[in-house]
Amino acid sequence: MYREQQITLGLFYCQNVPESREENRQALEEEFGKSLRLFPIPCSGRLEPVHLLKALERFADAAFIITCPVGACRYFEGNHRAKKRVERTRKILSDIGMEPERVGIAIGSKEAPKTLAQQAREIFREISLLGPSPVFGQE
Amino acid sequence: MPSKYAIHTLAVPHRFKSVSRSGIIAWEEGCLKCAVCVKKRCVYGVYDNRDLDPMQMIDSIDNQCMNCLRCIQGCPKELIHKSLNPEYKALGDSYWAPDIIAKLWYQAETGKIPVSGAGYPGPFSGPGFDSMWTDMSEIVRPTRDGIHGREYISTAIDLGRTTRHISFDEEKGLESGSARILDIPLPIILRTPTFGAISKDTINGWTRAAKGLGTLMALPQKMISSTPEGSAPWVIPMISPEESGAPAITEETRVAEVPWNEEVSGLVGEMEDRYPSLLMSVRLPMDHRAEERALVLAEDGVSIIHMEAAWNGVSMGGDGGFLKDGIRSVHLRLVEAGIRDEITLLSSGGIAMAEHVPKAIICGADGVFVDFPILIALECRMCRRCTKGLSCPVEIQGASPSWVASRVRNLVGAWHNQLLEVMGAMGIRDARRLRGEVGRAIFFEELDRATFGSMGQVEEGCELE
Repeated sequence: MYREQQITLGLFYCQNVPESREENRQALEEEFGKSLRLFPIPCSGRLEPVHLLKALERFADAAFIITCPVGACRYFEGNHRAKKRVERTRKILSDIGMEPERVGIAIGSKEAPKTLAQQAREIFREISLLGPSPVFGQE
Repeated sequence: MPSKYAIHTLAVPHRFKSVSRSGIIAWEEGCLKCAVCVKKRCVYGVYDNRDLDPMQMIDSIDNQCMNCLRCIQGCPKELIHKSLNPEYKALGDSYWAPDIIAKLWYQAETGKIPVSGAGYPGPFSGPGFDSMWTDMSEIVRPTRDGIHGREYISTAIDLGRTTRHISFDEEKGLESGSARILDIPLPIILRTPTFGAISKDTINGWTRAAKGLGTLMALPQKMISSTPEGSAPWVIPMISPEESGAPAITEETRVAEVPWNEEVSGLVGEMEDRYPSLLMSVRLPMDHRAEERALVLAEDGVSIIHMEAAWNGVSMGGDGGFLKDGIRSVHLRLVEAGIRDEITLLSSGGIAMAEHVPKAIICGADGVFVDFPILIALECRMCRRCTKGLSCPVEIQGASPSWVASRVRNLVGAWHNQLLEVMGAMGIRDARRLRGEVGRAIFFEELDRATFGSMGQVEEGCELE
C-alpha cells in the first residue's frame, strides 16, 4: 500500500525493540519491498549523525531510529543519546536547507509497547507527506 | 608415486562487508581528549582508516576489529562499550550457526585454516558430528616436515565398483569383467545447494572450481546448459525422471545420478551398458529403510550409492536420526553382507565444517558431497530471503565466474589442509584407509553407555538394603 508512493525509508532500530527478530524483519521487507531498508543495531546509542546523513545521501528519503522507552535502555543512556543525535542531525539538515522532518526518532512506550512493524507503519504515515528527497534530483 | 596433490590458494576478498561478530554499542559522551587515547593505540589501526559502508551501514571499526577489547579496557574514562552484533546472531539457523558461517567465509577469503587462539571455548560434546571425536594420538610425532612435507598423505578416493573376484576363461582371457573405477584426488564432491540466489555465472564458477580441483560437480539437469564448454567430464548430471529435455549425458560424462525408486537398478544397468565409461550413482534418501534398499542396490551391481540426508544432516524419514548414524548403519550392513568393497558409498546433507569430512569417512562413507558451504563461500548468510523472493543481501547472482571459482577453491583448499592435518594426527596416510575406521574415533553415545550404562541397575541376586 505504501509502495506506490516510492518513498524510501532507512530505518534503524535497537535490537531490544519488541518483535524485531530476523523473521519479523524479513516479513516487513516482504511487505514494503524496496521502500524500506532495515538496520538492526545493538543499542540506539550506537547511532551517530553520520549514519542518518549517509542514508539520506545514498538511498533514503527519510531516516528514522526506533529506540526503547525512556529509562528502559539496557545500557542506561542509549536512547537519550540517540535523541540528542537526531536533534543534532535535524539542525544540520535545516542548516543546509533540507526538511529536518526527514530524520526522526520513535521512542517506545513502556505502557503501550509497539512492535517493529507497528512503528514502521506509523513512521511511513508520518513521512508520507514529505515527498521524494531533493538529494536525488527531479526524476 | 604420483606427483603430490596440492591446492594452490590465493586470498580473494569479499565483495561485500562481512557481518562482524561484535559491534560497538555505545560511544559515551565526555571524552577528555587525553594523550593516551586508545584509538591511537589500536594495534590493528582500525580507528585510523574509519569508513562507513552506507548501503549496509557497516562501520569499518566493527568490521576490522579483531575483538582484542584493548580499547574497551584501556580508555581512562571507559567510554567505549561493545556487545555481540544482532545481525551476526541472526545469521543462519540452529544448524548453520553464525560461527560456522563466519569460519567458512574466512576460509573462502584466505584459503587458510581458521585458528582460534587461546584454546577451544566450545562445548565438550553436542548433537550430530559433535558427538564424535577423532583420534589425535599421533600428533606428538607428526610427519617430519608438516602436512606438505616429504611424507605423502593421500586424500584420493575411488568411485565405482570392483568385482568380488576375477575369473578367467579357457583362453586365459578375463571373464569376470574389469572394475569400473574413477579416482578423484580428494573425498569431496561439490553439489548444488537446494536454495540460493544462483545464476548461470554461479554454476559456471562452481563447475570451473570442480574442474580445477580435479573433483566433480553435481548439477540438476536443467542447470547443465550453464556450464562452460568442455566441462562435461567434471559434471555429474542429476537426472530426474519427470524432467524431459536435452539428454544430459554425453560420451564424456563420467558419473551421473538418478534418484532411488523400485526399478532403478534396471535403469542404471541400461545406462552403464550404453556408455562404457559411465558410473551411475543412485541417490537414496536417508531413512529407516535405507539399509535394506542399499543392500538391494549393492546386490544389483549399482556402482555408487549416494545417501542423502536433509540440509541439517538429519534423516529424511523424520525419525530424527543423524547422518553419521545413517552412514554407519548402511556401511555396517554392507560389511556384514560382505559386499562393502564392491561399491562406493557417498553421503550428503549437513556437511558444514572441514572436520565433518573425515568424520563421515570414519563412519563408513567413501566421500562426501558438499552443498551449502560452496554457497556460503560466496558470502551467503543463509538468510533464505531468496526462497521468499526477496533480494539477496550479497547479490550472489551477480558474482563473476572467476571470483566464484577462486572462492570455492580457497574453501576446499582449506578443508583439504584440515583433512591432511586430521589424518596426519591419526597416523593415517590414505583416505581410503580411513573409511569405516571407527577405531580412530570415540563416539560419545558409546562412551556414555560404557561408563554410566550400568549405574542404577541392580545386579541379579543382590538385594538393596
